[in-house]
Amino acid sequence: MEKSEVKARVVNVITSILEIEEALVTDEANFIFDLGADSMQSLQLVAGFEEEFDIEMDEDKALDVQTVGHAVDFIAEYL
Amino acid sequence: MTERATLHQKNLEKIFNPQSVAIIGANQNKGTVPFDIFNGILSGDFNGVIYPVSPGKKNISVIKAYKYVLDIEDPVDLGIIVFPSSVAHMALEQCGQKGIKSVIIISAGFREVGGKGIERERKLLEIAQKYDISFIGPNCLGLINTDPNVRINASFARQMPAAGSIGFLSQSGALCTAVLDYAQAKGIGFSKFVSFGNKADISEVDLMYYLMRDEKTKVILLYLEEVSDGRALMKAAKDVIEQSGKPILIIKSGRTEEGASAAASHTGSLAGSDEICDAAFEQAGIIRCDHIEEMFNIATAFAYEPIPPSNRVAIITNAGGPGVLTTDTAIKEGLQLACFSEETSKVLKKALPNTANINNPVDVIGDATAERYEAAMEAAFQDSNVDGVFVILTPQSMTDIDIIAQKVVDVVQKYDKPVYTSFMGEADVASGIRILQQNQIPHYSLPESMSKAFAVTHQFGQYLKKAPAQRIDMAATDPLKAKEIIQKAIREGKTYLQEYEAIELLNAYGLPVSEGVLVTSEKEAGQMAQQIGFPAVMKIQSSDVLHKVDVGGVQLNVITEEDARRTYHSIISNVQERMPKAKIQGVFITRQIPKGEEVILGLKRDPSFGPVIMFGLGGIFVEIFKDVSFRVVPVTREEVLEMIKQVKAYEILAGARGRSRRDVEAIADAILKLSQLAIDHPQITELDINPLIVLEEGKGCFVADVKVLLTNELEFN
Repeated sequence: MEKSEVKARVVNVITSILEIEEALVTDEANFIFDLGADSMQSLQLVAGFEEEFDIEMDEDKALDVQTVGHAVDFIAEYL
Repeated sequence: MTERATLHQKNLEKIFNPQSVAIIGANQNKGTVPFDIFNGILSGDFNGVIYPVSPGKKNISVIKAYKYVLDIEDPVDLGIIVFPSSVAHMALEQCGQKGIKSVIIISAGFREVGGKGIERERKLLEIAQKYDISFIGPNCLGLINTDPNVRINASFARQMPAAGSIGFLSQSGALCTAVLDYAQAKGIGFSKFVSFGNKADISEVDLMYYLMRDEKTKVILLYLEEVSDGRALMKAAKDVIEQSGKPILIIKSGRTEEGASAAASHTGSLAGSDEICDAAFEQAGIIRCDHIEEMFNIATAFAYEPIPPSNRVAIITNAGGPGVLTTDTAIKEGLQLACFSEETSKVLKKALPNTANINNPVDVIGDATAERYEAAMEAAFQDSNVDGVFVILTPQSMTDIDIIAQKVVDVVQKYDKPVYTSFMGEADVASGIRILQQNQIPHYSLPESMSKAFAVTHQFGQYLKKAPAQRIDMAATDPLKAKEIIQKAIREGKTYLQEYEAIELLNAYGLPVSEGVLVTSEKEAGQMAQQIGFPAVMKIQSSDVLHKVDVGGVQLNVITEEDARRTYHSIISNVQERMPKAKIQGVFITRQIPKGEEVILGLKRDPSFGPVIMFGLGGIFVEIFKDVSFRVVPVTREEVLEMIKQVKAYEILAGARGRSRRDVEAIADAILKLSQLAIDHPQITELDINPLIVLEEGKGCFVADVKVLLTNELEFN
């Protein structure tokens, strides 16, 4: 899968779970500090990505992912 | 005070008295720390402006939220970071950019979790230093200031406590909530309440200095799990007590021994961290408490009542048994039952029934009315022989509990003497106790606690009256000579000094050693023994032999030249036979010291408190009874004399049961010199003078044996 497609789908998951505008979801945006994800939403994001891409991620490592760009790279490794 | 400590004092002003607060990482999820912190401030009638910072949210509750702290247009006095640890540094960085100098970091997940957490905490400090920020935490519950002009509950405690004059500082956050709940039930109020968590930046020492200047605080309470800088804590306590007269009560948890068993000297094995902590606290005037109840028993006495000028108490009771019990506990705590004046006895005789006991303890009899209590209290308070009054009540069928409680409140307002109460029981006396607590009259469920609280306040009063310590002239010491000896030994790779070197070291500091000489042949042994004089003592000198007696390396009572030659031969043979690989430097000959009382002096370095000295009676007493006392150096002569008198066996030195009194002043001199040696030479890790032989008063003392352990890990100045 192309990285651009991964990113588009990642952005979709983020905007729907965090209920924020797409424009805010930049590569550098930090899930907690910039996008306001709380601990519950962080877990929902991990679950959302797994469902979207039909993958099973290492949860501890997934929760360590801080930014959107890093999340795209992290998910790409499972595809 | 360091530059950063000075900065903390300035920034603490806004931590405690902010006019605007940003809660960075606030959210709307009830039951979470970020929401509860926000809600605590909002619902606690905070006299200032609140800015929730919460990316992705337009508002928290009904208050407009900001994405970043940098988006707030107005200046912000205090930032409270509640974001998870992974991004706390980003929030702190923005606080710096915004110009916020005062911060509380509530978030956990730092040093206390190890690994990445340590790195995260280090990063916080780096940012704080870059922007001149001072922060409390991380990993803390936050703080409360009950001052009506501020009223901030920046914590996740369930509610704002009542205002009072007790400042409470705690390393444990969870304990804070329990303490608040306990205090609420007892009607105890606080001036400031702080949980400082990992104390990565602002420590208990900074907070103590702040409370010293805080007009609302009369008593400082501290719960500590670790003393990271014992010397700084002692200095702060001394400064606070000396400059403000405010008592400091500390619970230091973890009364366990660790590492003591592995120590190589007597001092090392006897000076456990808790014993040192006890000694250091006492030396600094700190009152150490064992548990929360005891701490508040004493704290309320300080907070509500004046410090008694002396220890003479009057006991007023409506029952004989409790009167006797209280008398027992009072005497046990070192108090005296006041001896009433003739006038007081006359008044009591007139006011009380014939069956009443008008002597101390005054028994107003089971059917006592409030008027009878009033008459007895008035008489006691007016008697100049009485320094404080204990009022005891047992609930009998005819006892007007609430009326008597109110009478106590009314009477004590007229006098400047302390009153402590004990309404014994639980259910029936509850409403009376509430009246006392609401009116800030110290109440104790047990007479033991009442007597202890009075005794502690009295002792603290005596501590305040102590004259300032005298400086000690140490001109007679030769630190350069001592340094040479230590340097040489360390260069040779030694971890301890040979006895002849140790004797030279002590001699450089004027300690009373019996001078000797190292000999390396039988012939030389005979000649030198003759020169030194008989009887002589001969000891093996080998860097491989630590316990000389065990290898036949010591001989006392050498009385002739021929004897000295023979002894040299036998000592060398003994050691060669038992430790064939031992490298022998020779045999050390000294004049034998006359008989006297044996004491031990020791020195050890504590990781937190630094050099600590020990004193005790020598011989078997040290190991079996552990009858020793400690002080953190430097020490004053007064402190040294106190430490000598503190051991139970002091009576022996003082001349108990017809024995002659020993030269205690000479011991004090030796301890003071040892203290100076410890300060000047940090390379000495442990030192035992065991025994120090103490002669009769005026005849001095002599070092009979000494062991000095060194470290090669420190640079020389």
